[in-house]
Amino acid sequence: MDSLVVSNIRQRPLRSAISILGVALGVALVMLFTGLAHGMSDDLQKRSSNVSAEILFTRPGSLQMMTSSANVSTKYVELLKNIEGVESVTPVIRYFYPSGAFGVDQVEGVEWDSFSGMNNIRIVQGHAPASPDEIVIDQTKAARNHPVGSTLKVFGEKLYRVAGVYAPESGARVKMTLGALQDALEAPAKCTFIYVKVKNPSEQVAVAKRIDEAFPGNKIQLTREVFATIENSIPGLTIFLRVLVVLAAIVSALVIMLAMHTTITERTREIGILKAMGASRAYIIGEIEREALLISFLGLLVGFALAALAGFGIHKATSLIFEFSFRWALVAAAIGLLGGALGAFYPAARAANLDPVNALAYE
Amino acid sequence: MATILKADNLEKTYRVGKVDVPALRGVSVAVQEGEFIGIMGPSGCGKSTMLHLLGGLLTPTKGRIVIDGEDLTAATDAKRTDIRRRKIGFVFQRFNLFPTLTAEGNLRLAERIHGNGADDPDRRREILRMLRLEDKMHHKPLELSGGEQQRVALARAVVNRPAIVLADEPTGNLDSENSEIVLKMFRELNDRFNQTIIMITHNPEAAGACQRIIQMRDGHIV
Repeated sequence: MDSLVVSNIRQRPLRSAISILGVALGVALVMLFTGLAHGMSDDLQKRSSNVSAEILFTRPGSLQMMTSSANVSTKYVELLKNIEGVESVTPVIRYFYPSGAFGVDQVEGVEWDSFSGMNNIRIVQGHAPASPDEIVIDQTKAARNHPVGSTLKVFGEKLYRVAGVYAPESGARVKMTLGALQDALEAPAKCTFIYVKVKNPSEQVAVAKRIDEAFPGNKIQLTREVFATIENSIPGLTIFLRVLVVLAAIVSALVIMLAMHTTITERTREIGILKAMGASRAYIIGEIEREALLISFLGLLVGFALAALAGFGIHKATSLIFEFSFRWALVAAAIGLLGGALGAFYPAARAANLDPVNALAYE
Repeated sequence: MATILKADNLEKTYRVGKVDVPALRGVSVAVQEGEFIGIMGPSGCGKSTMLHLLGGLLTPTKGRIVIDGEDLTAATDAKRTDIRRRKIGFVFQRFNLFPTLTAEGNLRLAERIHGNGADDPDRRREILRMLRLEDKMHHKPLELSGGEQQRVALARAVVNRPAIVLADEPTGNLDSENSEIVLKMFRELNDRFNQTIIMITHNPEAAGACQRIIQMRDGHIV
């Protein structure tokens, strides 16, 4: 063992382990939060993309990322059918409700025939919801021990019977009849939005304009734009992730700075010996930086492992989805290594500038 | 014999609070290549200060030091470090080995710091044989006796063929038996490799191993 860097780390296993865990914490935080945020938004986007309608007709404020209200009158269903260029329409109530300790889940009330016909959704097992206490679920939900015939508490205390399983995934995983959800929410003749499918997709902008002119005061959106900006539509998500990244970098840098500061104080005499042996400032800084980088690298590995374990555990315990992102892994790696290097720089520079005679006399 | 080290009128004054404390008061010395010199004198007479000045660990308040043709006093801090790296080997009273490294690791570290061309296996083998350390290379310092540790420190000091070895009371922490062994090693290094050595000592027996003794008192050579 003739590497000063490795032997120093091995010589002080507890402090090395704490430093590694400190870096790992920052890395794991970045990976976990970004993984969950991207997992959720990608899942939503994937489910939203299985919608064939080109236009979403709603009212301002009725549909947000995690909230909704049933304030669109279903009278528009018939009115929209009369707009030139419209092929079909189907009303949907989307309702968000708390799920588990951390999650938010959603259920949709749909007119099954028009909804499934418009979006090419098919029942792969069982049958479509017919009575007010029946629901259909997608295959992901069914795989979580919810077979056809079982009962499910969707929201509130009422039990719903799983009548069938549908595919592909689209919107909320749980769907019931529009009437059932209207009753449950005490919102008769209301929905959250209306999907509009046009005869000629290349004319969707013109049709949207016609709808807007015919029914001013409502909100007309092209689904391709809504689904493309799901991640951006989560209020403050980007800022939150950036703040998280900066915090993680600061945590990593502080942990390494503290560890290296303590190490250098302990090793003052050794630094004096290095100087007596003719080690340059750059050499001393390089040795300390290498040690910090090795600790940071080990912290990265532990951090990735922690994030993967935590993501898996959270996914199992809740409905939240963790998605490992290579882009964010690179960011986390850069944070861990850069934070470590920067954190070690001040103690390293301090060590390199120690007076050799005083350092040699250090007890 | 060529002059390997020349110090002219060296003065060193420490500032302690608001008081100037003179440690060296105009010391001149010339050392020839291959000389083994002992520096003796009472505590506080300036021996260690002089050794640190000659090794470039301190800068003199006044005076000039030339080592192997290079002016140490005119050099920048980086240049002084470079001269120390290439021309000086230090041996300390407290051995000052790296406790986390094996004996071999300590030697390799010195070679790495020295840089290009330093890794000379023949030289290392010969030194280890002479210092009887061949079977101790995989031991860490705490697994070695004091005498063995000091021999490793000596090997580390000379492995890169320095122009001068500066030793600060190398037998000060050793019993008489180990002192004798270490002094014998110093003599052998001097005889076989023509190694120039400047050694501070309080020990008259150690001084007996030297070719020339410099006596110091109150910052002067007497």
